[in-house]
Amino acid sequence: MNAVEVLNIKKKFPSVTALDDISFSIGEGEIFGFLGPNGAGKTTTIRILTGITQPTSGTAKIFGHDIRTETIAARQSMGIVHETSNVYDDLTPWQNLMFTAELYHVGKGEREKKSVELLKIFDLYERRNDKVRGFSKGMKRRLTLAMGLVNSPKLLFLDEPTSGLDVQSNLIIRDVINDLASTGVTVFLTTHNIEEANLMCDRVAIINHGIIAAIDTPHRLKGTIQSVQSIEVSFDNSSVDNLSLVSLLSGVNDAKKVGDRYKLYTDNLPLVIEEVMGFAQKNGLKVQSITTLGPSLEDVFIKITGLERTGVIIHAID
Amino acid sequence: MLSIKVQRLITRIPAELAAGWAIARKDMMIYYLKPNIIVSGILFPLFMFLAFAIGRNEDPEALIPGLIAITILFSASSIEPVSIPIERRVKTFDRLLSAPISMNTLVFGESLSGFLYSLVIALIPLGIGVIVYHTQVFHIVFLSIAILLTSFCFATLGTLFAAYPTENVGEVMSMLNLVRLPLIFISGVFIPISTMPLIGQIIALLSPLTYANDLIQYSYGGSSHFTPVLDLIILIIFILVFQAGADKLYRKFNE
Ligand SMILES: Nc1ncnc2c1ncn2[C@@H]1O[C@H](COP(=O)(O)OP(=O)(O)OP(=O)(O)O)[C@@H](O)[C@H]1O
Ligand SMILES: [Mg+2]
Repeated sequence: MNAVEVLNIKKKFPSVTALDDISFSIGEGEIFGFLGPNGAGKTTTIRILTGITQPTSGTAKIFGHDIRTETIAARQSMGIVHETSNVYDDLTPWQNLMFTAELYHVGKGEREKKSVELLKIFDLYERRNDKVRGFSKGMKRRLTLAMGLVNSPKLLFLDEPTSGLDVQSNLIIRDVINDLASTGVTVFLTTHNIEEANLMCDRVAIINHGIIAAIDTPHRLKGTIQSVQSIEVSFDNSSVDNLSLVSLLSGVNDAKKVGDRYKLYTDNLPLVIEEVMGFAQKNGLKVQSITTLGPSLEDVFIKITGLERTGVIIHAID
Repeated sequence: MLSIKVQRLITRIPAELAAGWAIARKDMMIYYLKPNIIVSGILFPLFMFLAFAIGRNEDPEALIPGLIAITILFSASSIEPVSIPIERRVKTFDRLLSAPISMNTLVFGESLSGFLYSLVIALIPLGIGVIVYHTQVFHIVFLSIAILLTSFCFATLGTLFAAYPTENVGEVMSMLNLVRLPLIFISGVFIPISTMPLIGQIIALLSPLTYANDLIQYSYGGSSHFTPVLDLIILIIFILVFQAGADKLYRKFNE
């Protein structure tokens, strides 16, 4: 049985169609990613699958239970990590966990054992009896994750689990998700972080304007645009910005600066390499490194969603 | 077919009750001592009452029941209109909306915290009556039932109003006050129903406070405008109507 089965879901708000006839299914134990820009419909999808919002039309089943007609049965097996870290500031982490577990009718012994375990995993055990008010963003996020897991769900919804967090919090969260997947838990996560989707997901759906534009493994998605290639080059004098100059070289379709390197997109690799070497010589620069790259998931994403490769996107997918 | 449904429902009762109780306890820990709840739930009815009672030279026996009734009205209906908009704003309400419980349980759990709050607050006018004015209660059982039913009725009214989908506490509160304040004047708290003009008497029939006040008056003085059993039945009907209405509204506003 599939963990999630979505059929022709539409969601219309008075001013906008948030989801326009989407269908997909998620197998048990799969890590499934929803990748899309702001306003694509990611959160709306999660709200429908968790029964908070009703779809305008279409059906969704969670382990065979229709979310509209068998809401409680469908929800019993899920853990939800909402987009905002919605923890109770006036309660302690311990009280937050106990309350969540009680909503899911987890027995006292079980919820206490599980909470100790989760608090340790998420590095909050020492702070378990402090009011959450005053916790950092990362700590609140980790607590939100812990609360999503306290009922030992078979299916976990994560709405941008790592967005805006530091490296350490990110690593903890990613580790936990990978561990869960290895124990057979199904994970549905949304993200704008392409690298995250690439690293973590078994399959990725790219969603934009409420439409699923592509759905496949990260590897095969990259394969669909094999023609896009790029090189990364760095020069010895990195203090001078040569972006506008290198982007004018022939064969270069697009260029951006990544740290002290330039990333040049092309469909004619040999020509661009030749051009870059010529450019360096002419300007008295030394090429420090040059690497050729296949298409990245980001390239797929940009191609599919029709977004421009601008600074804005680079921020959105930080 | 139906029996399976009923069976399933029955097996769910412990889980639903536990969740409702957890919601109520969470509200107690977080909201009971919030300043705006203390103001609108305790101070407001007290000042209201003093403004009317002082200088009227009425028999305390006649005033205390009314004071109890409006204290319960204000305290019971003050928790949810504060807590629910706040929880919408900080998105913790989504946790409740996505929990594996029925909407009726969510409404019930929320009301439960207002109910328990006003039970405690009702002790203030009750105590003032007994200690300061040495008032006598004739029917302690009816008084207990009256306080329980009235508290639950107005707590559910508070939850009903909090269904209005706003993140702004003031918005719910002003709508609620638009109803709560007039209730005081049309329910026989200050002016006995029997002395009202006919139109007033008819309007009074629509107010749950009328029956709450009547029942409390009865438990003090032994006389009532309606019969105590009728008061009791009508209060229960109000509770059921508010509960069903809240269940419907929370569903509707979540589409
Ligand atoms: N309650 C609502 N009322 C009206 N419009 C809404 C509502 N919720 C979402 N929308 C609209 O639906 C669209 C999809 O929103 P959604 O929150 O699902 O996007 P998202 O992919 O989660 O974006 P983000 O990455 O910014 O979180 C947006 O255009 C949004 O404005
Ligand atoms: Mg979102």
